[in-house]
Amino acid sequence: MAECVKVCTENFGKGAQDIEVYKKLGGYENISERLFNMSQFELIDYVQRSNLRGRGGAGFPTGMKWSFVPRGTGKPVYIVVNADEGEGGTFKDHFLMLEDPHRLIEGLIIAAWALGSRAAYIYCRGEFLPCIESLNKALNQAYAAGYLGENIMGTKFCFDIFVHRGAGAYICGEETALINSLEGQKGQPRLKPPFPAVSGAWKSPTCVNNVETIMALPWILKHDPSEYAKMGTPRAGGTKVFCISGDVKNPGVYEAPLGTPMMTMINDYAGGVVGGKLKAVLPGGSSCAPLTAEEAAVATMDYECLASMKTMFGSGAMIVINDTHNMVDLLNVLGNFYSHESCGQCTPCREGTGLLHRILNQIVAGNGHDGDVEFMQSLCGGFGGVTICPLSISLGGPVSSYSAKFRADFDEYIARNPDHAKPRVQENYRPGIFW
Amino acid sequence: MREHIKGAVQEIANNRLKFDRPEQPQVVYPTPADQFGHVHKSQPQPSREEVFAKMDTPETKARVADLLSRYPVAQGALLEVLWLVQGMFGWVPTEGIRWAANVCSCAPAHALGVATFYTMYNHAPKGKFMLQFCRNISCAIKGAQPLIKYVENKLGIKSGETTPDGMFTILQVECLGSCGNGPMMLVNDDFATDVVNGELKMKRGTTLTEASIDRIIDWCKAHANNVPKHDVLGGTVKGHSGHPGAPGAIAKPQVPDYAPPSPVLNVKAEADEAGATLTWKGAPEFTKLVVEKKDGANWVAVGEPGVKDKAFVDAAGKVGDEYRMIATSGERVAKPSNVAVTTQKPAPVEEKVG
Repeated sequence: MAECVKVCTENFGKGAQDIEVYKKLGGYENISERLFNMSQFELIDYVQRSNLRGRGGAGFPTGMKWSFVPRGTGKPVYIVVNADEGEGGTFKDHFLMLEDPHRLIEGLIIAAWALGSRAAYIYCRGEFLPCIESLNKALNQAYAAGYLGENIMGTKFCFDIFVHRGAGAYICGEETALINSLEGQKGQPRLKPPFPAVSGAWKSPTCVNNVETIMALPWILKHDPSEYAKMGTPRAGGTKVFCISGDVKNPGVYEAPLGTPMMTMINDYAGGVVGGKLKAVLPGGSSCAPLTAEEAAVATMDYECLASMKTMFGSGAMIVINDTHNMVDLLNVLGNFYSHESCGQCTPCREGTGLLHRILNQIVAGNGHDGDVEFMQSLCGGFGGVTICPLSISLGGPVSSYSAKFRADFDEYIARNPDHAKPRVQENYRPGIFW
Repeated sequence: MREHIKGAVQEIANNRLKFDRPEQPQVVYPTPADQFGHVHKSQPQPSREEVFAKMDTPETKARVADLLSRYPVAQGALLEVLWLVQGMFGWVPTEGIRWAANVCSCAPAHALGVATFYTMYNHAPKGKFMLQFCRNISCAIKGAQPLIKYVENKLGIKSGETTPDGMFTILQVECLGSCGNGPMMLVNDDFATDVVNGELKMKRGTTLTEASIDRIIDWCKAHANNVPKHDVLGGTVKGHSGHPGAPGAIAKPQVPDYAPPSPVLNVKAEADEAGATLTWKGAPEFTKLVVEKKDGANWVAVGEPGVKDKAFVDAAGKVGDEYRMIATSGERVAKPSNVAVTTQKPAPVEEKVG
């Protein structure tokens, strides 16, 4: 395992929650002539050259996203930080905000300069109260030191950051749902277009970025964008904070360059698989397709390689599964999760995820029938492109890929039902007393 | 319509329209609210006077004023104001939702919709300690369900229920964002895997076990009379100047005049028989562009391309000439661009025919 440059996790375990310590470690050096002598256009070009891609899951190039924000419309430009991290297996933002809140603030000041923004919101999920406390403490210190508020460091630049506590809804991690939640509405995604970059929060241009994306900015400005781009793959620069969880010896948050082989991450960083042999890896959080042990052996952790293997990089949350688990049990957990978190706006998602969950429940309870898997697959085929947000595909994708790659697990469960050859009674699909 | 669907629809219609329907069995819930916090009619609610009197404190008023100043529209503060209600009561009574709607000047029905959409607002009183267990995939892999069963047996209640003495509520929740320490639990607002030196801690590299859950429950019992309380919004931030468009504040247009004007970027020059061709990267705010050529020690303007143009040709240009560009945005003149030294244009690749 080669030592790599730490970008976001540089200050972990050094007590950087305090502004004095953070400044001693080289923090807030960018909030000086280095930033104030730069025009917005140059700064956006700088980020574009660094090849930084959004770290929240979709992987959209950050500089390009910023260049879409219209200028001079007379409307305020908002920056919203997406700290509503709820995907199963993802926990990097939690520790990033807990350990190094000042880096997020510094990154936000840089982003605000690039976008001409006056106010930013950090939308933090409700369960992360320790993070919110850490952020508020850091904000108080930053205001007292003059990095935030009116006329920052003697310039005409004014900028405020507000922390918004969410209240427990996975769907608010979707950017338009997050904006709705910020406006005090139910967190239901909006139809796009208009895209948030043009008409987002309160119908103003809004830039929604992940915590890790913003936290990479201070390093990029301090060093050179080409140095950052050099660390990753040709199409995505820099390092990534990976969260490894599941059946490994040392689960946790590790920073490594993009393009690191998957088995290096599992064996060298996380100490190897425990409790059995490797069965599957979810490379990008709970909603992506799993890779079998053979596929994992050749996969590298970057956007292009995983896309070519018909899964996705997502937020870099690797969930390692050993061969003592039956994949149907895990899929049932996901079915429960996604059917519970569906916002209820689009019928295919609201009804479809519930129906999938009920069938999976029946299979796990020993009431599976022949043809259940084919029925679920045909149901998932109807999810694509008919809903506002991709939540239904987040369950539909796993259902199709789990059943394609681990069909033996499904057959094993279905065989436990002595009457599995009989056709399923339609009554069993119904949700309950409401029908 | 297919036959079996037709049959099903008919059956439903018959059931719905039947006037002599058999009496529905009355559903008896063991506790006032079920696992998802759905409110039932049996939950006694405080009256409007009680709620409004309890919320009418100077601290709450200051808090609300601070929250309202953060958002351009008062409704933006609705989630935070509902948190304040929950902080005061430990749950969100129906009249508390009405109070929040009043404060945020939105319809009570809208506030009720919001309060029931999000899962962290409790619609019935909970125990002093809410033990929230993650049931999502990473924790399930590491054995969350056996642990939940263990706690349920230990406390003698099921998930979603409260112990008769009002001490503990067990909840199963979705991913808590600490999968590396899975299985994971929240005790009220604290992540906990163990008790260290008399405090709940989430230590790196530790997970919940039956023994550590025993210690956590013992810790909770010892702190029954002084439950550690967090501020629901994680404390206040002093010194912010509020949202520029907040009610009562003057909306300032976001003209980025504090930043230097944008220069032209990435100027390149290539020469062939037709002269030197310049390409560059332009910004939408440019109003005027000037191309300058080095002549001895001086820079001489050779042309003014349009702001939307993609390229500019200087007929007199040849290999080795130095060019730069100067952009104007409104009344502000930007610093000169990089100096581009003209290079030979590579010959076009000939297409092979046949």
